[in-house]
Amino acid sequence: MLKFLKQVGDYAKETIQAAKYIGQGLSVTFDHMQRRPVTVQYPYEKLIPSERFRGRIHFEFDKCIACEVCVRVCPINLPVVDWTFNAETKKKMLRHYSIDFGVCIFCGNCVEYCPTNCLSMTEEYELSTYDRHELNYDSVALGRLPYKVTNDPMVTPLRQLAYLPKGVLDPHDLPAGSQRAGQRPEEIAAQMAKPEAEKTEA
Amino acid sequence: MESGIDLQATFIQSLMDLGLPAGLAKAIWMPLPMLLMIIGATVGVLVSVWLERKISAAAQQRIGPEYIGPLGVLAPVADGLKLIFKEDTLPARADSFLFTLGPVLVVIPVFLSYLIVPFGQNLVVTDVGMGVFLWIALSSVVPIGLLMSGYASNNKYSLLGGLRAAAQSISYEIPLALAVLAVVMMSNSLSTIDIVKQQSGYGILGWNVWRQPIGFIIFWIAALAECERIPFDLPEAEEELVAGYQTEYSGMKFALFYLGSYVNLVLSALLVAVLYLGGWSFPVPLDLVAGLFGVGEANPILQIVTAGLGIAMTLLKAYFLIFLAVLLRWTVPRVRIDQLLDLGWKFLLPISLVNLLLTAALKISFPFAFGG
Repeated sequence: MLKFLKQVGDYAKETIQAAKYIGQGLSVTFDHMQRRPVTVQYPYEKLIPSERFRGRIHFEFDKCIACEVCVRVCPINLPVVDWTFNAETKKKMLRHYSIDFGVCIFCGNCVEYCPTNCLSMTEEYELSTYDRHELNYDSVALGRLPYKVTNDPMVTPLRQLAYLPKGVLDPHDLPAGSQRAGQRPEEIAAQMAKPEAEKTEA
Repeated sequence: MESGIDLQATFIQSLMDLGLPAGLAKAIWMPLPMLLMIIGATVGVLVSVWLERKISAAAQQRIGPEYIGPLGVLAPVADGLKLIFKEDTLPARADSFLFTLGPVLVVIPVFLSYLIVPFGQNLVVTDVGMGVFLWIALSSVVPIGLLMSGYASNNKYSLLGGLRAAAQSISYEIPLALAVLAVVMMSNSLSTIDIVKQQSGYGILGWNVWRQPIGFIIFWIAALAECERIPFDLPEAEEELVAGYQTEYSGMKFALFYLGSYVNLVLSALLVAVLYLGGWSFPVPLDLVAGLFGVGEANPILQIVTAGLGIAMTLLKAYFLIFLAVLLRWTVPRVRIDQLLDLGWKFLLPISLVNLLLTAALKISFPFAFGG
């Protein structure tokens, strides 16, 4: 008899504990409803891509030496380097360079291995067209610089997590002039100069 | 607040004054409340779909539908239009009659149960003497539809999903019925209007939720399981069994399942409001307030205000329960089929029996408080 009552008591205790857990869960879910949504409302708000963002590739025609390292190092041998050998100057002459961004995987190998740094990656990711043949950028199109998201009057640019001030997680409604966490190079230089000045004084 | 506004009598009387015979006047009146209730149920579904998407978004720190109509209110309309335009497929070698009949049997009993939902003293389609029992009996037709849908899909995973859905639906009918039985025992009547009237008169203190707290929780859990809402949505969960018994359905037939699920949710919320939260009664008894202001009971403005407040209160209580259901959806993990059946048979059933015994004992010992 006593054992049965103890079993009932244990059952009731477990039930109350389960109800308490569900209640705590409900309070967490309810608490989330009063937070500001984290939605980035594209196209009226856009995230500012980071410095090393692997966007569309940029090509400087004058720096290219037509070595074709970018083609060899590309996983799909994508860049089309149209060069001829100029017999008078005994040098390679680059006639045309193109990359098809419908096929490119934006891995950045070509940028990493280019010996003359004529290839770099921009922050542009909005490459959609109505016809896939328009994605085959020639050297003129590759040489264009993308439109900065901070210059677009219709867009509110939002910073990504790494560029937010210390302790802030939400890029909306940042006060003007807030800097990212960490020190700027000028401040680090000033800090390094101070102990040296103190050392020379002492 | 005793008799309220009698729309039926005034409508028939005004038609008879225009010269129509009594029989024709009554025949013209008959389809009107039914039509109004069906329209009300459909609008309720649209609102509850919108509410679900907005509340889910808020709980997940998103925004939800925003640009489809102001505040996204046309989102369920867009959903409905999309489903109407989709192709209505029939799987190869599936029994087409059963395939079509399955969703129909799942949805029609729910719409039919709106007969008994009262919004006021005389604001109900018809005062059926055995109101809640009719609802419980009609909800027992749903497992047949689920089995039909699962079997007729010619898909072994749909069949398993249909079997599980039917098992879930059947298992949770008994605790549901027993919780309702405790309330009925206290009200001495199966009619929903009598149940609400028994709770009125004392404002918020008279509601059944204080006298039947365990019954309220049992009823709510069993109702969520009948509606196949998370955490009990194993048969139609997106990650399990593809979509269970609904896998092979598309277009209008799937729209019937989708609609039926939300109509069931709204119906369950309304019935919890009626059975446990006092239906149309205001937290402060309105005849007391009217007495304080010295307004007579037969004052037509008072009657209109009372009726309007009654409808608003019912809807507000139902909205609170729908909000709770949506919040639960994003709080609690899904239960497995064995945990689900354990919960129904080994937990809710004994507790609802104990609740029934307790209510009976309290009714005998304190007849003035527990419905003598």
